[in-house]
Amino acid sequence: MRKIQPYVFVMPSLLLTLALGVYPILWALRYMFYDYPGYGAATYVGFDNFARLMRDAEYWNSVKNTFIYAGGKLVLTLPISLILAVILNKAFRGRQLLRAIYFLPTIISASVMSIVFFIIFNAYNGMANQFLMKYHLISSPVNWLGADYAMLTTILIAVWGAVGNYMLLFLAGLQGIPNDLYEAASLDGANASQKLFKITIPMLGPVLQMIVMYAITVALKGYESIMVFTGGGPYGKTDVMYLYVFKQFFPISADTASMQRFGYGSAVGFASAVIVGAVTALYFYFSRKMDKIY
Amino acid sequence: MVKQWGYAALGATLVIGLTACSSSGNEGASPDASNSGAASASASGQNAGEKTKIAYWTPDRHDAVFMQAKIDEFNKTNTDNIEVEMTVMADNYPDAVDIAFASKQAPDVLRINNLETYVKKGYITPLNSYMDDATKERFSSVLIENKNMIGGEIYSLPNTGQTWRLIYNKDLFAKAGLTEAPKTLDELVEYAKKITEAGKAEGAYGFASNFKSSSGFWRPSITVSTASGTTGAEGYNFQTGQFDFNSVKDIALALRQMKEDGSMLPGVESLDMDPLRAQFAQGKIGMYINHSGEPSVYKDQFPTTVNWAAAPPPTADGTIHGAINVVGGWYVGISNDSPNKEKAWKFLEYLYSLDLQKEYYENGYGVSLIPDVIEAASSPSTPGIEGFLPTKYDALYPDTPLTATEAALEGTKYGDVLTKYVVVGGDLDKLIEDLNTRYNAALAKARADGTTKIEADPDFDASKLQGALAQ
Repeated sequence: MRKIQPYVFVMPSLLLTLALGVYPILWALRYMFYDYPGYGAATYVGFDNFARLMRDAEYWNSVKNTFIYAGGKLVLTLPISLILAVILNKAFRGRQLLRAIYFLPTIISASVMSIVFFIIFNAYNGMANQFLMKYHLISSPVNWLGADYAMLTTILIAVWGAVGNYMLLFLAGLQGIPNDLYEAASLDGANASQKLFKITIPMLGPVLQMIVMYAITVALKGYESIMVFTGGGPYGKTDVMYLYVFKQFFPISADTASMQRFGYGSAVGFASAVIVGAVTALYFYFSRKMDKIY
Repeated sequence: MVKQWGYAALGATLVIGLTACSSSGNEGASPDASNSGAASASASGQNAGEKTKIAYWTPDRHDAVFMQAKIDEFNKTNTDNIEVEMTVMADNYPDAVDIAFASKQAPDVLRINNLETYVKKGYITPLNSYMDDATKERFSSVLIENKNMIGGEIYSLPNTGQTWRLIYNKDLFAKAGLTEAPKTLDELVEYAKKITEAGKAEGAYGFASNFKSSSGFWRPSITVSTASGTTGAEGYNFQTGQFDFNSVKDIALALRQMKEDGSMLPGVESLDMDPLRAQFAQGKIGMYINHSGEPSVYKDQFPTTVNWAAAPPPTADGTIHGAINVVGGWYVGISNDSPNKEKAWKFLEYLYSLDLQKEYYENGYGVSLIPDVIEAASSPSTPGIEGFLPTKYDALYPDTPLTATEAALEGTKYGDVLTKYVVVGGDLDKLIEDLNTRYNAALAKARADGTTKIEADPDFDASKLQGALAQ
């Protein structure tokens, strides 16, 4: 009985993982060599889908956009959430309330968030423009969702949605740093920034490494809020890799019927996974010293 | 104490937030509930003597109350012992249908989302053998290959459709000293400029379209190009059987000119249809091109005090040479898996009956595409619908091979290419040349692998389509 028990406990999640995780991956790995619109027989096309992928300027544009989006999101999110975590790690009145408030965006659905931000940022009657014009910060409405600013606006919204989440992860890491170190540093006359750079960040090392890795993969794979907010537009300016993959499987078209491309979609999905995997591996290679702080 | 209340309030906010987020999950559960209903319906249909249950699925919500009343009436009055159970599906209707067929729980009768795909997937059954000669005759002028029949097999019949018009704000027109809608594309550009000059101070602009997606180009282009020319739709030339996007060049140039003139609402490139309507309802947009769904939108969804009207779309030279494309041609079909096809057809006969369709049309649920209904019915009561009633210039076009072509297409779709042109400009001739090359290569591939069977029709002439719906 004792021998069976662990397997019984593991079985439900194992079965679910196999059915919902492993099987779809194997399915996609097979279909990336096929042309399949979702009905009838799939046609074997060898490496045609990959040849097409290499020529697909729209896909490579989405890859470029993904790196701009992920880069912008990470550069802003990580420092802001670390600083917030350091501040909210101190004991003061109301810090629990502030932690909850900063975390709140994380539990709001990405679609709801995107619709609200669309109302704020649209060019014709958005609150952002009305506010800035009222205080004479701009003279004419800014087209936040036009070609010039759409990516910037999209990044800012992503940052807004992510800061609370990473703040919480950093807070968990900060709790693990012994207070003695700060006390000793204070006795030696260290100021706040010295403590941050000489104690907090180095001591966060391994945690920081994992959080950054997590942030990189999430940022590279993110597409849900972009889909609702801009739909990848205007004309592909905010189209990201996984949104492009999604559109192959589930074409977004208001008027004309579109055919699903399961085969090509699988190939694009595989290529995108390889890109995310490669970036993560590179990051691990260059950050390998971070977990050797102690 | 205050702190505790603060946390309680915050906790309540979080709970409400989470509940709000999860509500869509509850809605998503409804297809499952109706799946089992459909399954039991089919099963119980086997028992002789009992009522035969016919499960009917539709995504239409705008007419749900009316249709439920009509179905209740049918259930009470029909002499064939049929009981129809209508399920109004939530979003993701196409996915729900796919899942239902894959798990053998499909309804007996279903609203068709994409006829060609449903036929290819083997979901729906031909109706020819059920239709008597009178019914075939009644629908003869609106039976169209790839819209409601494939290879001569009729899979559905039309009920209502969308007629397309230029919608304009008469108040803004008056303010700009204009008295009637533009007839030519040059006038469209000129009027948009005048409206903007007169209304810009109050935030009103001449023209808008929903350029957030390619739909923003598709709507004006399919309407104007089918009215202007006689050879095709959506860039496809029926006569030559090839794509030639020069057919949408005039409207692309006009839209680009309005953008360059600053006559378009700022931020049109991120505009969706509903935000556009909201702006029109507030009197901020002079003109746009859309379909016959608009009157009910301005009656219920965005009630407006704006004095507006609909006019035929402008054309290159001011004359409608072809016919304005009508979207529609199909409605419901009978599932291939249904064990009760005969009785399902009885229900279809009721759905398509002159009385029901007449009432449906008169109540403003849609513009009818059935000739005898258009003739017999009095005008619907919805304010503004009068501009959308079918005229001799409205017609159902044959299907184009666009869907199959775009599935095989490499590179950007025409709607996106030309939307970008409208917003930022470029060398239009070069863009069109590139589109023609890519689309015709993809079309050749789609024909070679059998994804489309649509071939050239040298005799096609859109002017001959005039009068098929109404005189």
